[in-house]
Amino acid sequence: MTSPVVPCAGGPSGVELLASYAAGTVEPAVVWSVEAHLPGCARCRCALSGHVDQQRLVRNRSVLLVRAAIGDEGPVRRLICRFGVHDHLLRLLAATPSLRRSWLLSIVGVLAAVVGEAAAVRYGWIPSGRPGGLAGYSDPEVLAPFLLVAPLIVLAGVAAAFLPVFDPAYRLAVAAPFSGVTLLLVRTVSALAAALVPVVGAAFVLPGPGWLPAALLLPSLALSAFALAAATVMSPRAAAVAAGVAWVLPALLLATAHVPLLIVQRPAQVACAAVLCASFLVLLARHDRFELGWKR
Amino acid sequence: MEEMTLNVSTAALCADGLSRMYGAIRALDEVNLTLDRGITGLLGPNGAGKTTLLSILATVNEPDTGRVSVFGLDPRDRAERVEIRRRLGYLPQELRYHRHFTVAGFLDYVAILKEITDRRRRADEVARVLAALGLERRARTRIRALSGGMRQRLAIAQALLGQPELLILDEPTAGLDPEQRLRFRELLSGLPGDPVIVLSTHQADDIAAICPKVVVLLQGRVRFAGTPSELAATASGRVWAAAERDPGAHLSWRGGDSRWRHIGDNPPDGAELVAPTVEDGYLLLSHAVVSDDRH
Repeated sequence: MTSPVVPCAGGPSGVELLASYAAGTVEPAVVWSVEAHLPGCARCRCALSGHVDQQRLVRNRSVLLVRAAIGDEGPVRRLICRFGVHDHLLRLLAATPSLRRSWLLSIVGVLAAVVGEAAAVRYGWIPSGRPGGLAGYSDPEVLAPFLLVAPLIVLAGVAAAFLPVFDPAYRLAVAAPFSGVTLLLVRTVSALAAALVPVVGAAFVLPGPGWLPAALLLPSLALSAFALAAATVMSPRAAAVAAGVAWVLPALLLATAHVPLLIVQRPAQVACAAVLCASFLVLLARHDRFELGWKR
Repeated sequence: MEEMTLNVSTAALCADGLSRMYGAIRALDEVNLTLDRGITGLLGPNGAGKTTLLSILATVNEPDTGRVSVFGLDPRDRAERVEIRRRLGYLPQELRYHRHFTVAGFLDYVAILKEITDRRRRADEVARVLAALGLERRARTRIRALSGGMRQRLAIAQALLGQPELLILDEPTAGLDPEQRLRFRELLSGLPGDPVIVLSTHQADDIAAICPKVVVLLQGRVRFAGTPSELAATASGRVWAAAERDPGAHLSWRGGDSRWRHIGDNPPDGAELVAPTVEDGYLLLSHAVVSDDRH
């Protein structure tokens, strides 16, 4: 089928066609022809503007500007959406401070300092002043700072996702119908994943035992879950502090006793698993405490 | 204590015996209020309890005692509380922002919180409120680059997302210049659907210009509820002008014409009485409350 020839706007038939096109009353083949003609004909474009609803044009322009301002889905976001995650849930992550570039860079900086210090001691760049370590790998005491800091980094990321002080628009979230539990879940899971990746990655680089990266997962999860569960019975800030203290105290005690690795070995793993399960049960029973605003 | 005498059973918003304490401070003291569709101004000085009352009505806060009903829904019930929030647009006092957001990005975020999950509908809504507040050209601007007045317009814009039936605006005109305040008044007057609007201010001229109804809140209690003209009328015969300051007046100030304006219970004989304004009525009422407390 050949497409009809589009008369130019210089004649009455051309003007009539443009008016019909603007009104949306022409056949698809004619629409195609007109739209193929318009880019090359300034006279027709000018004539067309006289037949278009200006207010509708302004509205459409505004909507296009908004969509451009909000931003297109990037390749990562599109990939995540293919796994069934809704786009609007991903948009909520934009307000999570522990997913900001500055936060993640800070994590990388802290880990780099801690891992760097351990590596420097291990390879003799910095004298350790200690006797030789256990056979098979370096002195475990060089791992003490990392073992102290790593789960706290994960905890801090999760805490930033649920502490009101980190959400400037917290009161808007409270007054909104969107589920507080869903919001919390989306943010904390994302913050957890974002923090665990650099922590586990740093554990691989660390001059320590090969099982260390895996051994960090359970304590990190348990600490975060404990903080969330505690937030259902006390203020969120107190819950985060309590969780932090619950890790720092034994880590320091074991470090001063020259056995820092005990905090991630089998007995501690069992304890962390128990804490994780208990916290999970508390969260299941009391998750409504995360519905914001009126608590009763 | 006056109460608005509306039909309680049909009122859109009812507050009954609301009280709220912050430590030893009684922010609200047995507040009773019934409001219907239209604009109601909540007038009072800083610390009067306006923000506390509005936060309770917005289901952000809960009272120590008393009950609230919004469109017949009880915020103590979780499902009904969510339903109230679906119909609510809330502007808190001194709203803070995620400063890395753009204007459109922030509104998009708030639209999601209001359960507008469809992308296209969100973009339409964001474009609509941007146009209503004259911020279309700022859609891509980072919030940290906005002036104070523009941030306040943005704050108003987010409250309008979703065309709420109940608008609670805490100090909405703070930081707006006179032209923007006029536009804001026009905006409120032209909102579709005749929503219930409660806005707080300590500017009496905003009340006089925008609000057909006014509630005066002083020291946590409702001291007046009626029309602005009724509030002004409470100062009738108690406002006078003079060339010199009158020490017997409760309040005196010199106006733009260099004459003194006085407010008091006992104008001197032969005083040049002037027509009272809403502000005069409010100041007289405020003075009476403070004096009562001292005694």
